[in-house]
Amino acid sequence: MSFAIARPTSHEHAARLLADGSYRLPVLKAGGMDVVDHLKENLIDPDLLVDVQPLRPDEPGGAIHHIETENGGRVVFDASTTMTELAESEVVREHCPVVGQSVADAATPQVRNVATAAGNLLQRPRCWYYRRKQFDCLKKGGSTCYAVEGENRYHAIFGDGPCYIVHPSNLAPALNVSDGVVHWVNRDGESHRTPSRDLFHSPREDVESEHTLPNDAVITRIEVADRPASGFYAVKEKQSFDWPLVFACVQLDLDGDRIESADVWAGAVAPVPWPLPDVAEALRGVRITDAGAVREACANAIRDARPMRDNGYKVKLLPVAIRRAIRRASGRPAHDLFDGEE
Amino acid sequence: MADETTHLPTHMPIENRPRNISRSVNDHTSRLDGVAKVTGRAAYTRDRYLDNQLFAGFIRCPWGQARLESFDRERALEVDGVVEVELQGRSGEYHGDIVGHIVAESKPALRRAMNALGATWRRRPSLTRLEDDMDDPPDVNAATRDLLSEAEHVFEATYTTPVQTHACLETHVLVVDHDGERATVYASTQGTSVVNEQVAEPLDLPQSKYEVVCEYVGGGFGSKFPIGREGQLAASIAAKYKRPVMCDLDRAEEHLDTGNRPSSRSTVRIGVNEDGTILGGRIHTWGGTGVVQRGGGVRFPSGRFDFGEIQKSHHDVSFNGGAPRPMRAPGHPQGAFAEELMVDEIAELVGVDPVEYRKRLDTSDARREMYDLGAELIGWNQREATGEQRRAIRRGFGVGSTTWGPNRSNAECEVVIHQDGSVEARTGTQDIGTGQKTIMGVLAAEHLGVPLRNVEVRIGRSTLPAGPPSGGSVTAPGTSPAMIDAAHDARRQLLDAIAEQEDLNADDLRLEGGNVYRGDERILEWSRAVRRMRNDRITGRGRSTGRDDPHWGEGHSDGVQFVSLSVDVETGMIRVDKVIAIQSCGRVVARKTAESQIIGGVIQGLSFALYEEKLLDRWTGAMVNPDLEMYKILGSRDMPHIVPVLWDKGQSGVRSLGEPPVIPTAGAVAGAVFNALGRPVRDLPLTPDKVLAALDSQGGDA
Repeated sequence: MSFAIARPTSHEHAARLLADGSYRLPVLKAGGMDVVDHLKENLIDPDLLVDVQPLRPDEPGGAIHHIETENGGRVVFDASTTMTELAESEVVREHCPVVGQSVADAATPQVRNVATAAGNLLQRPRCWYYRRKQFDCLKKGGSTCYAVEGENRYHAIFGDGPCYIVHPSNLAPALNVSDGVVHWVNRDGESHRTPSRDLFHSPREDVESEHTLPNDAVITRIEVADRPASGFYAVKEKQSFDWPLVFACVQLDLDGDRIESADVWAGAVAPVPWPLPDVAEALRGVRITDAGAVREACANAIRDARPMRDNGYKVKLLPVAIRRAIRRASGRPAHDLFDGEE
Repeated sequence: MADETTHLPTHMPIENRPRNISRSVNDHTSRLDGVAKVTGRAAYTRDRYLDNQLFAGFIRCPWGQARLESFDRERALEVDGVVEVELQGRSGEYHGDIVGHIVAESKPALRRAMNALGATWRRRPSLTRLEDDMDDPPDVNAATRDLLSEAEHVFEATYTTPVQTHACLETHVLVVDHDGERATVYASTQGTSVVNEQVAEPLDLPQSKYEVVCEYVGGGFGSKFPIGREGQLAASIAAKYKRPVMCDLDRAEEHLDTGNRPSSRSTVRIGVNEDGTILGGRIHTWGGTGVVQRGGGVRFPSGRFDFGEIQKSHHDVSFNGGAPRPMRAPGHPQGAFAEELMVDEIAELVGVDPVEYRKRLDTSDARREMYDLGAELIGWNQREATGEQRRAIRRGFGVGSTTWGPNRSNAECEVVIHQDGSVEARTGTQDIGTGQKTIMGVLAAEHLGVPLRNVEVRIGRSTLPAGPPSGGSVTAPGTSPAMIDAAHDARRQLLDAIAEQEDLNADDLRLEGGNVYRGDERILEWSRAVRRMRNDRITGRGRSTGRDDPHWGEGHSDGVQFVSLSVDVETGMIRVDKVIAIQSCGRVVARKTAESQIIGGVIQGLSFALYEEKLLDRWTGAMVNPDLEMYKILGSRDMPHIVPVLWDKGQSGVRSLGEPPVIPTAGAVAGAVFNALGRPVRDLPLTPDKVLAALDSQGGDA
């Protein structure tokens, strides 16, 4: 319950500090949102905080750039880019709108002003059993997922456990529909790149950590491909400071109003960002103006859903969120309570 | 004065306000301590960090029911800065139940000691909601049975509301500044006088040797009358070590163990004839009172409607949860939710418009007029028949009613005129955010006859004249007559002194805007007038006992609220668009704070309707959402356009306003959702899962 704060001079330096065996529990801190939550709830007892926030590039509006590559355009941004910067970036809006939309209404303005992109990806789940110290749940080395018998209204409908968290990152599925790549360095100064789709693993593989990166990894930057016809839609109980009940990220390759191909991921429904290849496949060849065909394709999303006692409503919400994300991806309003009536 | 419309806090410019709207003497005064509060200059009790201060905290049961199996007191005592570790109990009956405490030199040391204690608990099965242990309602009596058998329809339904917590922004806290012989007690309380009385014993000092100070309160809503365990601990530790002490609860403790609005369940069997006449029936309610056996009363029927002969019964049901405390109109919002939705459902059953039906059933002539005004302001004529809409986004309109009796309280006030012309308005009562301080200043200035800027309001101290605790919406009604009398007394003394020295008749003199007039002639300006007093000050005194006082308001504070909202039937999301809140409160003293009270009541009512729920894990009995993240409270983007309408027809005196606006909102919201969907959602909060389930039971036309 007391710790030192280190101010590394580079990401490699930060990685070395994380790997430094003289500390019992070094913890990386960027925006600090989730670290402070963990400290306040007495969930972690670090002896070193490695503060990478001062490594932020000194660029107004965040270091967000568009570059041309052999395989088309890509948007590159620093790991420390804030949610506000992503949401307000013209570059992101033009080239990969799903990324900006995914974080634009998350949490609160105050949180978005400091929370970082990398932090959003690596934040721990919001499961109330995980967040309360007295529950020795699977994530904390225990033998039980309390959600199964307990209060599971906000828990997973996919994944079949054994832990039923929903992955907390809005940004992760947005990266997944955008060929996202996460760049990171380790203690030896080696640069690595991990496709965002490989960044997370099921609790079946490792229940105590959601991501696949080694302990000394420090994310340096993130890049996504140009996905101009992409969109995000979340259903939330509250519009201020709330987590999505379900959300969907969609990217479309359009030929006129005909969907040539699609990529569809869901969030807040499984312990990891949840791919929906059956929906994507069913959308192939569908005209976005053909509401019936779109509806039919989206209904595929819930075929394998296995809700628990209190989260069956998520099964109803998911196809709706996907349809609305499709509308946004094709540049149309979502048709919800907040953009005018149908 | 600037253009008064620029001062109005509401969304409705004054020229557009409908008839019967109050035009009070004071239309524009901002909260006197508003700037101090929003800039952080106001020092709340939680802000009192003192030299040499100790910090005390509780050891609490983490489960619904559990026995303390093991702990290491010695290890906790070894933590640097730990002063004492005491365990009084070995078992807990609810999550948050206190079994001991730790005192330390700093908050981090306190926390380290809690960890070092390493308490382990053996969990036992617990009851987590009233449904786990409720009895059946008593049998319907013979008269009710006959009445129901005669009725052309028997309407049956069950309505439930969850536990709502007070969720005060400033969590419960007491700070004692003990210098070895005397003490100052900083309280965050609704009852400075209550703390003054209750702290004497644990503080072990005569009341003459300490002062209780409560200048600002970050919310109370009924949970901050007694000094509580935190107050007792802070005071007793201060007495023991003769040192300053703070005992403050964290956010989780605030949800767990500082009271709540108990959960409720209401089941009805009502006999109705085809023409809408309600013959009567049976209403049974249950209240979920946590670990105690009382306090769960549900105000249903409220008495606002004529339901014929009602057989009413109530059971309080215990379970392993924190005990209730009074919460803003105790028993009322949960009852009104059931009652208003029931009225709407019966109206639909017999084919009558809900507003017209209320005008038939309502027992108040004032509210009958308010229904018409509210219907006009909300646009009730745009309401479509219940259940007739087939769009994905459906609109709904709803209405609810409220009343509050003329409760009384005693109060003493002083108005002190100093020789330099400055004026103090003094009373010991506290401002729990209602605007009480502002009200006192406005009344003192107006009734003395000086500008408000001359008046310094001093409240929230046990050494000031005795003022009432703030409960039952009595603070403004109780103190206002006393402050008016005090101002009149001070004015009379000053004018007498002037008359004597100037050889005039005091009855010919008046004080207005700080100037002394004889007839239309200004004979003295303020700075010279105050030089005529014999001593260095004049103290005017006023006292009210609640009876036979000409400044008391008679009758009830009545109100109605209208809600329009939209429901997304694909997601079950509700967006409340507009709330019209018509409310009488006697004479309006300070419009801004009065309107703010109404807006605040509506917000709390909306939050109760849509989001709030203290959720105990059914397996372990632990509260899973003891924070402000998953214990959901209405946020800025969930806020509708709220239009407070102060009704002044037939109003006099200063009457209650704090509680009545929170009563009707949830019922009005539920009625509007019923109107939009054609199916009632009878369980709060009205979350998407329940809305979707209601639509499913309709046969899935969404």
